[in-house]
Amino acid sequence: MKRHEKIIHEASTRTLEHITRKHFLKECRTGIGMMALGSFLSGCDWLGNKKPAKGVGIDMSDPFIPRAPHFPAKVRSVIYLHMAGAPSQLELFDYKPELVKLSGQDCPPSFLEGKRFAFIRGVPKLLGPVTGFAQYGQSGTWLSDNLPNFRNVVDEVSILKAVTTDQFNHAPAQLLMHTGSARLGRPSMGSWVTYGLGSENANLPGFVVLTSGGNNPDAGKSIWGSGFLPSVYQGVQCRSEGDPILFINDPEGMDRDLKKASIDAINKVNHADHDAFGDPETLSRIAQYELAFRMQIAVPEVMNINDEPVYIKEMYGVNPGEASLANNILLARKLVEKGVRFVQIFDWGWDSHGTSPDGSLDKGFVEKCKSVDKAMTALLQDLQQRGMLDETLVVWGGEFGRTPMQENREGKQNLFKGRDHHVDAFSMWMAGGGIKKGFTHGETDEIGYNAVSGKVSVYDIQATILQQLGFDHERLTYEFQGRPFRLTDVHGKVINDILT
Amino acid sequence: MQRLQLNKIFLVFALITTVILAYSFIFSPDVDYNTQVKPLLNKKCITCHGGVKKKAGFSLLFRSEALAATESGKPAIVPGDPEGSEMIRRLTCTDPEERMPYKAHPLSTDEIDLLKKWIRQGAKWGDHWAYTPVAQQTIPKRKGWLWGLFQKEDKWAHNDVDHFIRAALDKQDMEPSIQADKHSLLRKVSLDLTGLPAPEKTATAFLSDTSVKGYEQLVDQLLADPAYGERWTAMWMDLARYADTKGYERDDRRQIWRYRDWLINAFNNNKPYDSFLVEQIAGDLLPDATNEQYIATAFHRNTMTNDEGGTDNEEFRTAAVIDRVNTTWEVLMGTSFGCVQCHSHPYDPFRHKDYYRFLAFFNNSRDEDTYAEYPLLYEFQDDDLLKYNNLKQWLDQNCDPEQKNEITKFLRTRQPTINSLTADSFRNSELLDTKWLVMRKTSGARLRNVALQGNTRLLMRYNSMATDSRLEIRIDSPGGKLISQVLLGKNKNGWDIAELELQPIEGKHDLYLFYRSRSLVKEDDNGMMFDWFYFTNPFPGKGKPGYDTSLAHFRHLILKGKANTTPVMVENPAFMERTTRVFERGNWLLQTEAVEPGLPASLNPMPDENMKNRLGLAKWLIDKKNPLTSRTIVNRIWEQLFGQGLAETLEDMGTQGIAPTHPELLDHLAWKLMNDYQWDLKKLIKEIVMSATYRQSSSMKNETSKKDPFNKYYSRGPRNRLTAEQIRDQALAVSGVLNRKMYGPGVMPFQPAGVWSSPYNGDQWQNSQGGEQYRRAIYTYWKRTSPYPSMLNFDAVAREVCTARRINTNTPLQALTLMNDPAYLDLSRQLSFRLYKQYGQVEAQLAEAYRAATGRPATPEKIGIAKSLYDNALRVYSKDPDKTCSMTGLMDEHNFPEMAALILTVHTIMNTDEVITKY
Repeated sequence: MKRHEKIIHEASTRTLEHITRKHFLKECRTGIGMMALGSFLSGCDWLGNKKPAKGVGIDMSDPFIPRAPHFPAKVRSVIYLHMAGAPSQLELFDYKPELVKLSGQDCPPSFLEGKRFAFIRGVPKLLGPVTGFAQYGQSGTWLSDNLPNFRNVVDEVSILKAVTTDQFNHAPAQLLMHTGSARLGRPSMGSWVTYGLGSENANLPGFVVLTSGGNNPDAGKSIWGSGFLPSVYQGVQCRSEGDPILFINDPEGMDRDLKKASIDAINKVNHADHDAFGDPETLSRIAQYELAFRMQIAVPEVMNINDEPVYIKEMYGVNPGEASLANNILLARKLVEKGVRFVQIFDWGWDSHGTSPDGSLDKGFVEKCKSVDKAMTALLQDLQQRGMLDETLVVWGGEFGRTPMQENREGKQNLFKGRDHHVDAFSMWMAGGGIKKGFTHGETDEIGYNAVSGKVSVYDIQATILQQLGFDHERLTYEFQGRPFRLTDVHGKVINDILT
Repeated sequence: MQRLQLNKIFLVFALITTVILAYSFIFSPDVDYNTQVKPLLNKKCITCHGGVKKKAGFSLLFRSEALAATESGKPAIVPGDPEGSEMIRRLTCTDPEERMPYKAHPLSTDEIDLLKKWIRQGAKWGDHWAYTPVAQQTIPKRKGWLWGLFQKEDKWAHNDVDHFIRAALDKQDMEPSIQADKHSLLRKVSLDLTGLPAPEKTATAFLSDTSVKGYEQLVDQLLADPAYGERWTAMWMDLARYADTKGYERDDRRQIWRYRDWLINAFNNNKPYDSFLVEQIAGDLLPDATNEQYIATAFHRNTMTNDEGGTDNEEFRTAAVIDRVNTTWEVLMGTSFGCVQCHSHPYDPFRHKDYYRFLAFFNNSRDEDTYAEYPLLYEFQDDDLLKYNNLKQWLDQNCDPEQKNEITKFLRTRQPTINSLTADSFRNSELLDTKWLVMRKTSGARLRNVALQGNTRLLMRYNSMATDSRLEIRIDSPGGKLISQVLLGKNKNGWDIAELELQPIEGKHDLYLFYRSRSLVKEDDNGMMFDWFYFTNPFPGKGKPGYDTSLAHFRHLILKGKANTTPVMVENPAFMERTTRVFERGNWLLQTEAVEPGLPASLNPMPDENMKNRLGLAKWLIDKKNPLTSRTIVNRIWEQLFGQGLAETLEDMGTQGIAPTHPELLDHLAWKLMNDYQWDLKKLIKEIVMSATYRQSSSMKNETSKKDPFNKYYSRGPRNRLTAEQIRDQALAVSGVLNRKMYGPGVMPFQPAGVWSSPYNGDQWQNSQGGEQYRRAIYTYWKRTSPYPSMLNFDAVAREVCTARRINTNTPLQALTLMNDPAYLDLSRQLSFRLYKQYGQVEAQLAEAYRAATGRPATPEKIGIAKSLYDNALRVYSKDPDKTCSMTGLMDEHNFPEMAALILTVHTIMNTDEVITKY
């Protein structure tokens, strides 16, 4: 956070503290606008002595005030790149020479017994990798030809090759990945994080979502929703067309000076009301209008990639003015640089079933890889050169993986090369603060069907992300429907193997 | 001697001690389980010794469990004997391996003493307040002078509510606030009862009326206004998780707005709350259910369905049933029942099995996550309604009532049909996109366990895509007896309905479908697909006059009858019943013991043990012995009016919820609602808004407010931000463009481009025109995965699942919405055009803007602030025609600087806190 922003933030917090309720850490109480906060800041009885102590209240007049996590954090921010549709690990990270040999043969029945697939029916044929592989970097990590740039940064990342999930349809699997439940209604990871940590830049949303690929992810806006947490913690979608945030731009015919004059008048009237009626909510309203005014400057500024130097634009391969993944990845860097806590990127179109050229592993998929390879490589290099990689966690993955078998939808061989949804093994990678460099964790069997070692679950990924932000995932909770809920539900183990 | 003396002294001393001890045992006040013991157990013990875990075989959830022998063979609690109770020993011992709570801070001496005392007094269990029957309360009287000989007169109180509130205020030594001024009162009660500012006439009448009855007349008028139904429907839509789309990935459209309209009518007609619930839970099971009663059951068809390819329909059918259970408990009974899905309730007296016994009530509806969302109610329209009525009349005269009922039920609901997605044993056949059974060149499939009952006809909805094809049906095995066959050509218009003759067979059989098409080239070419199958008998009355016309009507109506459709509940007939099993740890794939429909033993029993279906359940829900239903609705209505419930956690009145601030008042109103008011909600609402409590000023500028900062004691009137719906509706009303048209499909007010973008769904938001864009918020089209953004910013909810309580926030996005959303700017323009026309003076225009928006005259100070902004803006616009034109919106008669300045100023006024606050 820049110095002047800190001062502004401090000033506004002070004003609020001074003239409204005493700040929540000083005195715990409940009431309008105060939320029961689970046990993660426990120690204060928030209902007098009427109820067992459950935690303290968050003052909803300043829900993003920075808060300390359970233990010192390794990173300040997270950039999570989600390839919606689930990219094929077998054409990216998980090299299976044996599968080359077996390609075209019937899948052994042992792999099919008791299994249910989204589209495969009967006995499908195995499909070898539809691309070449080679080893790169000091670490000698296998990477596919689809990632010609990423080989340059492969020594910065930890690749997880044995991630598993239990949902084989997109929407439920995406929900599970981001909210810890396959059903709608739970808060997303970014919501948990901003609820737990607040945000460092009061002029920008703490949790920003960027989408590309022509569609929202399959699970819709629910995967950045706040579930049962207060709605302020939901992700704010920043758009590349129209207003970067809905309603952030002044209406035509109202310039900044007039807007300023208008807000001054609103606040004067509100002050008069406060003088007359003494409702502290009115003061919060005044603060929110001031904040909105500042956001109107800060958001378009940070969302404008045109002013970036040419070499940066080339490095990421951006296309200003379009909704592209590369643009969004560059924006993610700009946002975390400004103190945004959690940037969630969704890129739609990775669902390579082989039912159309766009959805085939040798055509559409290759194009999707090109669109991400350069930009995600640039992101790591750019964060590195700015000294930010150590304080940022970058996560990359899909909602599940793909089968080693060619898909035969409804029992018929698909027309193009493609794979069905697969839950038993897929690849993700993480890089940044506290993550081992040039490391691979987990292994799959000879054809990449099952995890044989280093198996991790979606909940383990969530636990690890929270851990890097300073949270014990079992203690970041929220009281709802009579019990404390948490992102990882009743599961999750931190993947210590990939941590330094 | 001396020794004797000492002994004597000792004896006396011992005697005195014994007497004192005995006295304190006998006369010391009883420990209260609910308020003293249960919270302590919940906090310190129950995580390991409760509904989830039972470490060492010890659980504190039920008394029977707590007193039972643990794994050690001994009970941990021996009533009357704290010293002999292992529980106390383990709380006090010093060995860290033994001392409880394990690896946590020990209990304080006070806490241990409390538990000892509780055990000594017999370890009595108490029922949690919300699970005990609602009892008639004594209305508190104020304590007067001379020990109550002279009662203090209470001139403040208007009705019972006030006596309860005053009693609590007295205890806190607080005084109530003065009554709000008339303008405030008018605006508050109008917004609360109708969601809109009062109509001009009503407002003028009230403000000029000086009689005592003025306020009551106002309240009566507002309760009778059709806007009343719309306002309370807005509340119920969150509880019913109403949306215009199905949810999940494709999130396609769903036509269910007739249910929203049913709600509006139910509130406006003041349908008693008991019937209101019975019809929503089980309207389809009422004798001779009307269309309206069927539509009411759409309450539980607001669950989501999943159209994503490759999904397991049974999984999402189950998810919908689970959602119905959780919603019923959470919104109708204020109880969190979801936990019991996986294990016994950690805190409240519900067992794991209770969940599935309850689920069994909901597990026998016909819906199966089909693409078309069957079953639907078909409400025939125009000529086809006439045909339907004629047909019904003909059936009345020409066949037995049973046959008639079967036919009309089929026409109205297309049930009971077998959905083709339940087929299995595919041989060169499959479920297309996991939705419809599709047959290829030479193929077979099975329908399991079909009840035939001697039927001789099969109606099927199918699409044949190939010529020269043949379908055969055999029973019991692939080589079994042929009971039907048909030759098929290619359908010209897609889906069609065919009638096949069947050999009459009794009992349940597996049916094997075989298909072959000679015209198809490849084995895996698709030949035909099925939607549903209906086993029936020939149309009755053959040979009777009018037979041909009636049969033609019947066929016309099922094939292309023009109808409004709404997803509704239809129960499985006995021969299609599903068995409900307990899901091990909540996993629907691990189904264990079979269970019958039933209720938790800790609550009231079924009023009619013989009616073990949804209707019986509904009757149980509204039984006066049900402790939860009436308390929940009273608490909710109180929350709607005061901004907070008498028990704050509307969603959970259980032991983990927040206890009510005025439990006697809650019970009093609940009792009154059921008994005096016979579930009449308007009477309940009227009683609350007629109270002096409600009518208080909401000003916090007094000493009492410091003592009661969150108004827990109701020492002042409610003051809350308006809801998302109220903010929009008020702005529409104030600007004069509100379209009061009621009912019908959802409309699309302005929304910025590009907000909708669901995969595999090219559907677009089309901004409504011609006044439709100015209809009340409840008519706004609601897409679950992309709800209307400006309402979402004001804490509206996505309605994927039910929301028992919205949490109010105060954010910069709200400021941005009101300032910059073109929809709101448009309304400020409309208001300015009107003001400019009506008032010549700028000051008068601005004063009227304030009055219209806030319901009261503005102070000169506020008008001064607005005027100086206006002057400033006018200077800018006078020099800048482009800006002027942008601000006024169009190159039309409004395009001049004064108008631009007025719009900007009016828009500013519309953004003030007072406008969006109920005060």
